[in-house]
Amino acid sequence: MIGAAVGIFIFYLGLILSLFYFVGGKGFWEALSHPNTLFSIRLSLVGATLATFFAVIIGLPSAYALSRFKFVGKGILDTFLEIPMIISPVALGAAFLVFFNTPLGELIQTKGIYFVFEVPGIILAQFATIAGLTTRLMKASLDEISPRYEAVARSLGSSPWQTFYRVTLPLSFRGLLASVILSWAKAFGEFGATVTLAGAMPGKTETMPIAIFTSLASANIDKAIVLILILVAFGLLVLYSVRLTGKRVRYD
Amino acid sequence: MIRIEGLTILFESFKIMNLNIQIEEGGFHFLLGPTGSGKTLILESIMGLHKPKRGRIWIGDKEVQGLPPERRGISYVPQDLALFPHLKVRENILFGIRARDLDMKIYEEYVYALVEVMKIGHLLDRYPAHLSGGEKKRVALLRALAPKPKLLLLDEPLSGLDPSIKVDIQHLLKNLHASFHPTTLCVTHDFEEVYFLGDGITIFIDGKVEQVGRRDDVFLRPNSEKVAQFLGAKNLYRAKVLKNEPSSQRLILGVNGLQFSIPMSLYQDRIEVGKEVDLFIRPEEVMILRDGKLVKDSLKQNIFEGKILDISNRERYYTIYFQTTEGKILFEISIPNYAFRNLNLSIRKMVRIALREESLWVMV
Repeated sequence: MIGAAVGIFIFYLGLILSLFYFVGGKGFWEALSHPNTLFSIRLSLVGATLATFFAVIIGLPSAYALSRFKFVGKGILDTFLEIPMIISPVALGAAFLVFFNTPLGELIQTKGIYFVFEVPGIILAQFATIAGLTTRLMKASLDEISPRYEAVARSLGSSPWQTFYRVTLPLSFRGLLASVILSWAKAFGEFGATVTLAGAMPGKTETMPIAIFTSLASANIDKAIVLILILVAFGLLVLYSVRLTGKRVRYD
Repeated sequence: MIRIEGLTILFESFKIMNLNIQIEEGGFHFLLGPTGSGKTLILESIMGLHKPKRGRIWIGDKEVQGLPPERRGISYVPQDLALFPHLKVRENILFGIRARDLDMKIYEEYVYALVEVMKIGHLLDRYPAHLSGGEKKRVALLRALAPKPKLLLLDEPLSGLDPSIKVDIQHLLKNLHASFHPTTLCVTHDFEEVYFLGDGITIFIDGKVEQVGRRDDVFLRPNSEKVAQFLGAKNLYRAKVLKNEPSSQRLILGVNGLQFSIPMSLYQDRIEVGKEVDLFIRPEEVMILRDGKLVKDSLKQNIFEGKILDISNRERYYTIYFQTTEGKILFEISIPNYAFRNLNLSIRKMVRIALREESLWVMV
């Protein structure tokens, strides 16, 4: 069994190491400093951060409600959170394209914000992919905190808000933080929904995963590898920080 | 004065109907019921965490039904205590005072006195994870009392403690109550707790109040077989009222040919001759007579002879299983260890038992 675990480790490590076979060529450094590459990195960072921000704004109260209250339709709502996890991201993006061709969708675009083939489309696509996951993860963190703490805090005179930030939030903070980081990582690596809704225009809507795809399509191996390595680096950083936050809190 | 009137709670499988409780200012009232009878739910409803179907709650002359928990002035100590693990003992204790924005200067002396009584001065800078079970209970009680609640709710406050610590906390609770007089409502299924601490008791079975009264009244004189059974009544007999003796003001009851005499005054006209009733006496109210010793007048009416069938030691007392020679009625008798040694009892020994008239209780 340990052999299997080591096998998986070697499998992934080998995959990453193989990338270095192409590293160091002239094209590599050129690709790294190319404005479009830097733009992709920036766009991915900003897009994922904003998408995560919105997912938390919606997800945290939803997670709290799902964790603490009983209400009609809770089961259906809970199941719906899994929709973005089970349907293909491309399908999700396509659904958005269809939606923005309905009268309501057109109204939103003409009177409000343009999403299709625009930067807001990236954020929307990433938000749609991660919102369910963010809520789910946060709910799991909140579930671990006994509602009795809140009951006692309320009886001692705390309002619901005070109870949340004096008791619930500090007790679940690490779990919530880990949820945010994992959601961000998922948004950062999102491809299918983003490319379908926002397109793949270099210097405009080309995030890192999209740039990897287009570089490969145009046989620009150096650029693809640069971007993959950066993605991997971010990924490892994220996993490491999740591990740090996941450690049990010791109050002593 | 705390008044709870007509509290009706329908929640999941729980159905609690028309609960009425009154607690005098500074009283210690117990809500005693079997495990899983919805006692915690009742506390949470009084606190305002659950919305009851019906019912009104007054604290003094202020009705609090409809107020959120934080504005009711009720402190709650749950069974699992729920000490805030991210706060030190000191911060836990001051949580209520801070949350209510109370003036620390006014409360300082009082909180200090509580810390003294609770003997937790040396624990103030620790986190709850580093406290023993007994220490946690003390801190939780202190945290609840610190903001001077108008009502203190305790959920099984002595559960999950080692026997020696349980006794400590029991005494502590008693001292605490004697010194600071918090009006307290405590739910439990533990008779010992009630016996030691309570002055008023509400017996609550299957979602309904079965009996309300002073501690001794309820324990010695349950009003139904159901209550008697729940209170662990051992000596419960179906009896028939045989005679009414107006001259001596006594009623004579028969069980298996054996006659029991009880004072009429306790029952007025509720018991008629010929009626079938339940007769009950607590195991610790049955006396084993020593040979040659004079018997008090109050005992003379109900003396029975018989044989000891079995003896078992229960740490602090002995349980004697006794059967009368006539009628073959079985009695369970509890006697303290020292009394057991003085009586020199053994299995198959013939002895006489005496029942105090006032301790015999009839449920009509």
